[in-house]
Amino acid sequence: MQDADGWQRVAALADLADDAALPAKLGNRRIALYRLDGKVHALDDVCTHALALLSQGFIEGGAVECPLHGARFDIATGRCLAPPATVDLRTYEVRIEGGEVFVRAAD
Amino acid sequence: MFLRNYWYVAATDSEIGRKPFARTILGEPIVLFRTEGGAPVAFEDRCAHRHLPLSMGKLVGDRLQCHYHGLQYDRTGRCVRIPGQDQIPPDAKVKAYPVVERYHWLWIWMGDPALADPARITDFHWLDDADWGAKSSYLYVKSNWQLIVDNLLDLTHLAFVHESTIGNAALAEHATVKVTRAPNNVVVTRWIIDQPAPPTFVKVGGFTSNVDRWQIIDFTPPAFLRLDVGATPTGTGAPQGKRVGGITMRNLNAITPETEKTAHYFWAQAHDFDVKNAGLTQKIFEQIETAFHEDVAVFTAQQRSLDAIPNPPQVDINADTGVIQARRILDRLHTQEQAALHATAAE
Repeated sequence: MQDADGWQRVAALADLADDAALPAKLGNRRIALYRLDGKVHALDDVCTHALALLSQGFIEGGAVECPLHGARFDIATGRCLAPPATVDLRTYEVRIEGGEVFVRAAD
Repeated sequence: MFLRNYWYVAATDSEIGRKPFARTILGEPIVLFRTEGGAPVAFEDRCAHRHLPLSMGKLVGDRLQCHYHGLQYDRTGRCVRIPGQDQIPPDAKVKAYPVVERYHWLWIWMGDPALADPARITDFHWLDDADWGAKSSYLYVKSNWQLIVDNLLDLTHLAFVHESTIGNAALAEHATVKVTRAPNNVVVTRWIIDQPAPPTFVKVGGFTSNVDRWQIIDFTPPAFLRLDVGATPTGTGAPQGKRVGGITMRNLNAITPETEKTAHYFWAQAHDFDVKNAGLTQKIFEQIETAFHEDVAVFTAQQRSLDAIPNPPQVDINADTGVIQARRILDRLHTQEQAALHATAAE
């Protein structure tokens, strides 16, 4: 459930690994959580090209590569780095509190 | 599309003896036989004289004699006798392929003979290992070889094609899947936790309650798929690496293209429990064989669709991750091989 400011607990911090994305639900949205250099990032999990789930893709050099068609996105910014996708991924604010990961559903 | 600088399975050990045996591999007609000492030999299956397949001939000692005019070839492929003539023209020879016998299979090198290093033969030791029971077989498939590779990298199909044996709905709906890749390797790891065992597992493993089931698929180019599969009673620690009270098997696949539209499919099933029980080995084999015939029907029908409309558009779904990564590796290796061939030709 979201609080009044739009924050929602989506995962336990302990469930995040450095080499794998953790899929989560933010309301009805599929998001994916990543941990890079100790910092947690939250992005949309659905590729902007053909709806593949990026959490099943490959994390390399701070980017995630789509498992199906090879589009790449910067994990920290959501910026699209490689085709066939052309649209950036939406990113979300993340807060860590008491070992829990909170993500804010922006309007 | 074929990759040439690889060892392929050409035949099972028992297929090849003192009677010349014809098999086409990567579009090349080949004749296989054994010398009197049992060493396997492979030649191009065409007499250098007037093109009769040498597989129609017969062995005279260690020489293969053409059925048409009696030319005889030694084990290196050099013609050493022409009836009624003393002089042997230097071009009277046929291509000989490197062959190695390993794991009860005969492996053939289809590329540059200078690169034929037996150390590059893919490991299938389970077929020849006292710690495993195993039985292998051969299927002739009327489809492109890559359709078979695709099939083994996406096991969600078990839920639909093989529901009477190794499949059930849990496989498609309740699996967690992780795909890892290396430059020349793809591994798809699937875990199905706390779900009913499929019919085959109940029959050979005696499971009476839910299981934790794994399918770990290793793809090695060009077309080797080695599957570590099994199940243990749920909650006993298999996902953490502790396999107790269940069954572990290897499903082993070596696909050799015959043409662009046909393939030789060598496969085996191995098990690490009750390994000396030949009846069990046979029982497991028959279960998997039933499933594989179901697969062959699928491949054949897919190929018919592709023959009717070549290169149609296709939709990719999440389960295709392993399939797509493997195809990407094969495409890259093919491009590299072709570039190297052209570079050599230009020299």
